[in-house]
Amino acid sequence: MPRSKARAAARPKALSAALTLPLLAGCEGAQSALAPAGEDAAVLATLFWVMLSGAVVLFLAMNGLFFYLTRIRVQAQSETVARWLIVGGGIVLPFVVISALLVWGLSILPDHRQAGDGLRIRVTGEQWWWRVEYWPEGATEPVISANEIRLPAGQRTELILDSAHVIHSFWIPALGGKMDMFPGRETFLSLRPTQPGTYRGQCAEFCGASHAWMAFEAHVMAPEAFDDWLAAQAGPAQTALSDAARRGAGIFTREGCGACHTIRGTEHIGVVGPDLTRVGSRTTLGAGRLGVSLDAYRAWITHTGDLKPEVEMPAYDHLSEAEATDLAQYLRGLE
Amino acid sequence: MKAVLITLAALAGLGAVAGGSVVAFGLYNVSAQAGHLPAVGWVLHTTFRNSVSLRAPSMADAPDLDDPDLVALGAGHYATACLPCHAAPGQQRTATSTAMVPEPPHISEAIAHWEPNELHWIVENGAKMTGMPGWPARQRGDEVWAVVAYLEAIRETGPAPDTAALAEVTEPRAYCATCHENVAGPVPRLDLLPADYLEAQMRAYASGLRPSGIMEQAMSRVDGDDIAALAAEMAALRVRYDSPADPGTEDETGRTLAMRGTRDVPACTACHGPDRDAGPAPGRAGPAIRGQNAAYLAQQLDLWRDGIRTGSPLMEAAARDLTDAQIDTLSRWFAQQAPAPDN
Repeated sequence: MPRSKARAAARPKALSAALTLPLLAGCEGAQSALAPAGEDAAVLATLFWVMLSGAVVLFLAMNGLFFYLTRIRVQAQSETVARWLIVGGGIVLPFVVISALLVWGLSILPDHRQAGDGLRIRVTGEQWWWRVEYWPEGATEPVISANEIRLPAGQRTELILDSAHVIHSFWIPALGGKMDMFPGRETFLSLRPTQPGTYRGQCAEFCGASHAWMAFEAHVMAPEAFDDWLAAQAGPAQTALSDAARRGAGIFTREGCGACHTIRGTEHIGVVGPDLTRVGSRTTLGAGRLGVSLDAYRAWITHTGDLKPEVEMPAYDHLSEAEATDLAQYLRGLE
Repeated sequence: MKAVLITLAALAGLGAVAGGSVVAFGLYNVSAQAGHLPAVGWVLHTTFRNSVSLRAPSMADAPDLDDPDLVALGAGHYATACLPCHAAPGQQRTATSTAMVPEPPHISEAIAHWEPNELHWIVENGAKMTGMPGWPARQRGDEVWAVVAYLEAIRETGPAPDTAALAEVTEPRAYCATCHENVAGPVPRLDLLPADYLEAQMRAYASGLRPSGIMEQAMSRVDGDDIAALAAEMAALRVRYDSPADPGTEDETGRTLAMRGTRDVPACTACHGPDRDAGPAPGRAGPAIRGQNAAYLAQQLDLWRDGIRTGSPLMEAAARDLTDAQIDTLSRWFAQQAPAPDN
């Protein structure tokens, strides 16, 4: 009986430990400021750990003092000791600690407008997706993409941020701090990622019904691979199409998709929605909303508003399943 | 104090019983032949006058009331909807009309005491308990200006369409043609559009899905079984239309807006047909609009943008962010384009 009682008492503790452990896994992964993959995020992670360590030390010291004075040395203290505690512990110590943290913190703060190594990327927040323009050094016109950021590892890239209608916030936690995006005003961010990999970005300022669905993937690539990718990205859409894709291209034209979407090298030059010239090469659909399976494409085309409430794009639910599949094949093939 | 309250309560009870009896036992004589007592007539009419004055819209909302196309459209509607009670200028009211209570004034008398904006309010809203109906389609106050334009035209002594003659036209094809063959501006060219599209629109007007007081009135005179045949005839109608202001010069702003759009405005030509040199647009999602009358296009874009015309999620989304200036530019540009060659 006592044993089982003890076991019952131990169970909630074990349970809470078991529940808490997976939370720590949240510190790892593609969208964590505590798993930095770039210079700027590393500074922030360092700042966080220093502050956390200091806070733990202070927490233990304060509680230790409290314990000492209430449990170990319980008699009244002399006026001298009390004065030392108040002046020293209450005024001098916080002043010194906070001043030191402030000076140190300001000194390591990343410079959002730090000059880059040549590449500039303009990102415009839309409801609810990301309009992306790559401006390599000396370029006279941009390479246009959407809903995905690619960055060369080991190089510093300047980001110019703005917004079309409402305030958004651009944040890739693994690569740096966040920066708000305002309609009619440019803000800047400068990032130097160091580790190639795929990270996740998320709008960090409430911007409407589908704010939570406004994400993207950031791919940090080896510089040579990035240059090859950008050169390929700049060209027109591919024209070698399967039969299904060719039918899909006809549906794209017939349904007027080109009113809003550009596919370079075709008659479709609309600029309301994301550029689809190479949509098939992206790793998410609908700004991080879905994966890139054929089913995902079909779902996006026919149930747009269900997947992303209040989105501007109308759902093409009048298409037959065969038509939606052909259209999905066409878009998915635009690599 | 208590006695006063009891007396008041007793009087209120008696009043309620008396009023209830009038309703329950039909004690009030509703005969139109009996008419109103003079004092009652005065109260009702004064209330009506003041209510109209208070609510009449600003003249800033009015289009150019001298526009002959607007006057002609208003006359066409007047001949079928208003003339049976108010008569045509120079014509007598029917004996039945004058026996109504209140008596509908002859049209020249009716317009004499009102400003154009007050006429607009009366035609749009009608007046309760008078027999004067409101406009058949809600939110279509824009159409009412056509009737006001006609009423302003007959106020002056100059030439105005002969609504007495228009009222004689009852055969459906001839009736539709009174506007669609002879009037441009806010009346669309039907020869640009295929018969099945026209039929769908006629059915939408008839059912009220596409709100228009003028077209709902017109369609209420067409038998449902005749709509398909009539649509085919209308599609073949040779019409008068607005010739482009200056076909030689093309507005670059309009061209760019129509063919490329902006970040808020989709490219119209993606659905409504590509470059005029590239031929027709087989199977595109939208109807042909190149060469359509500018005033009609502008009116319809307004209705799409404001959510009054609905039924196409694509067009609702496309028009949502248009500015007045963009609507003006697009309407003019499309009106200037040569119609698609297959029409």
